[in-house]
Amino acid sequence: MPMTPDPNRRSTAGARLAAPLGVALMLLAAPAGARDAAQSVDAETGIESWEAAHHGVYIKLMQITPGQALAFYLARGFDAAPANRFAGACVFMTLLRNDAAPGPVAFDLRDWRLIQGGTERPLTQRDDWLAEWKRTGVPEPARVAFHWAQFPTRHTYERGDWNQGMHSYGGAPGDRFNLKLVWKADERTYRTVLRDLRCAPDDR
Amino acid sequence: MPRLHSSGWAFALALLAVSLAAPAADGPQTLTGVNFMAKDFTLNDADGRPHRLAELRGKVVLVNFWATWCPPCRREMPSMQRAYDMLKSKDFAMLAVNVGEDVETIFGFSFATGVELTFPILLDRDSAVTNAWPVRALPTSFLIDRDGRAVFRAVGGRDWDDPKLIGAIRELVGAQDR
Repeated sequence: MPMTPDPNRRSTAGARLAAPLGVALMLLAAPAGARDAAQSVDAETGIESWEAAHHGVYIKLMQITPGQALAFYLARGFDAAPANRFAGACVFMTLLRNDAAPGPVAFDLRDWRLIQGGTERPLTQRDDWLAEWKRTGVPEPARVAFHWAQFPTRHTYERGDWNQGMHSYGGAPGDRFNLKLVWKADERTYRTVLRDLRCAPDDR
Repeated sequence: MPRLHSSGWAFALALLAVSLAAPAADGPQTLTGVNFMAKDFTLNDADGRPHRLAELRGKVVLVNFWATWCPPCRREMPSMQRAYDMLKSKDFAMLAVNVGEDVETIFGFSFATGVELTFPILLDRDSAVTNAWPVRALPTSFLIDRDGRAVFRAVGGRDWDDPKLIGAIRELVGAQDR
C-alpha cells in the first residue's frame, strides 16, 4: 500500500530544521520573519508537505487531496454536496508543536492570513463551517466528527504539547499561496510567513 | 498526482487511514500541571456497561479523550495499554473516552490495532462529556488524583509507557499512598 508522507514524525528534513535551524532561530532577536518552509513530495502519491521550525515551534502542513477529504467525510455521515464543498476548499493536515518555545504557545487561527495575489484574507474557520453544516441540515453525528477532526481554532500548548487536524485554507485546488502565521509565547508575538504553499490538485 | 476514480473512495480512505495511522511526533514526553476538580460523568463502555468517574475516587485515573480517525490517538493506544498493564494493580485506572463514534467503529479499530485493549473504552456519542471538559482537540489526556482533582494535562499524543510518564504516574500514586 502506498504511504503518504508521515504527518507526525519529523522527516529528515524536519529534523534538520528542528535542531540547528530551530536553535539558530531561537537566537535571533527579532520575533518576526519570512522564511521558506522545507517542502517535500511523496514519490508515490505526489502529496506535498511543508514544514518549518521557528523559535521552538514546529509546524507542518500536508496536503489532503479533495478526494481524500471527500471520502473521509462521506464515511462520517456527510452528503456529497457539503463534503465536496469542504473538500474543494484547500484542506491541509496541519500540525503545530511546542518543542522548545520560550513559554506556552498561544495561537488563534483567526489571526492567520492567506496571502494570494498581493492581498491578505482571513481563513475560513471551523465554526464558520459548522454554522453552514447546521444551516444546511448536516446530521449531528457528522457535525460532531467534523468538529473534532479540525485543527483547533485556538489553543495554548505547553512544552511538548501538540495537535494535528484538518484545516481549510480557502484557495482553489492547485492554487499557490503564502501563509502568515501568528502566535504568542512568553508575552511576545511571533510572526512568520510560509511561502509558496500549494493546495492539492483536484483528484475527485 | 494519481487521479481517483469512482472506485477509488476506498483507496482514498485507506490512504488517509495509513497517513493517520503513522507514528506521532517525537516531541518531549511532558505533562503540564493543572489544578481543577474533574467533572464527573457516567458513560457506557462498548459492552453497554456504565462507568462513573466518581466511583474511581481513591485511585489515580488517566482520562483520555480520543477518536479512531485521530492519528496520534491511534498511535498512543498501544502505549496506554502497556502503561495500564504496568500500573493497574497499583490503585490506577484508565478511561478512554471516545468522541462521537459508534460501537462497531470502535470494535473495528480495536481489532485493527492488534493489541487487546483491556481498559474501558467509553462512548461519548454526542461529545457532551468531552465538551464539558477543557478539551479543545484530540487527543487530550488528564491525570486525576485520588481526590478527584485533575493534576496533569497532556495535549497531543504521548508514549504513555515512557519512563518519564510512568514515573510521574507512579509518583502520583505513591505520593498519595494511604
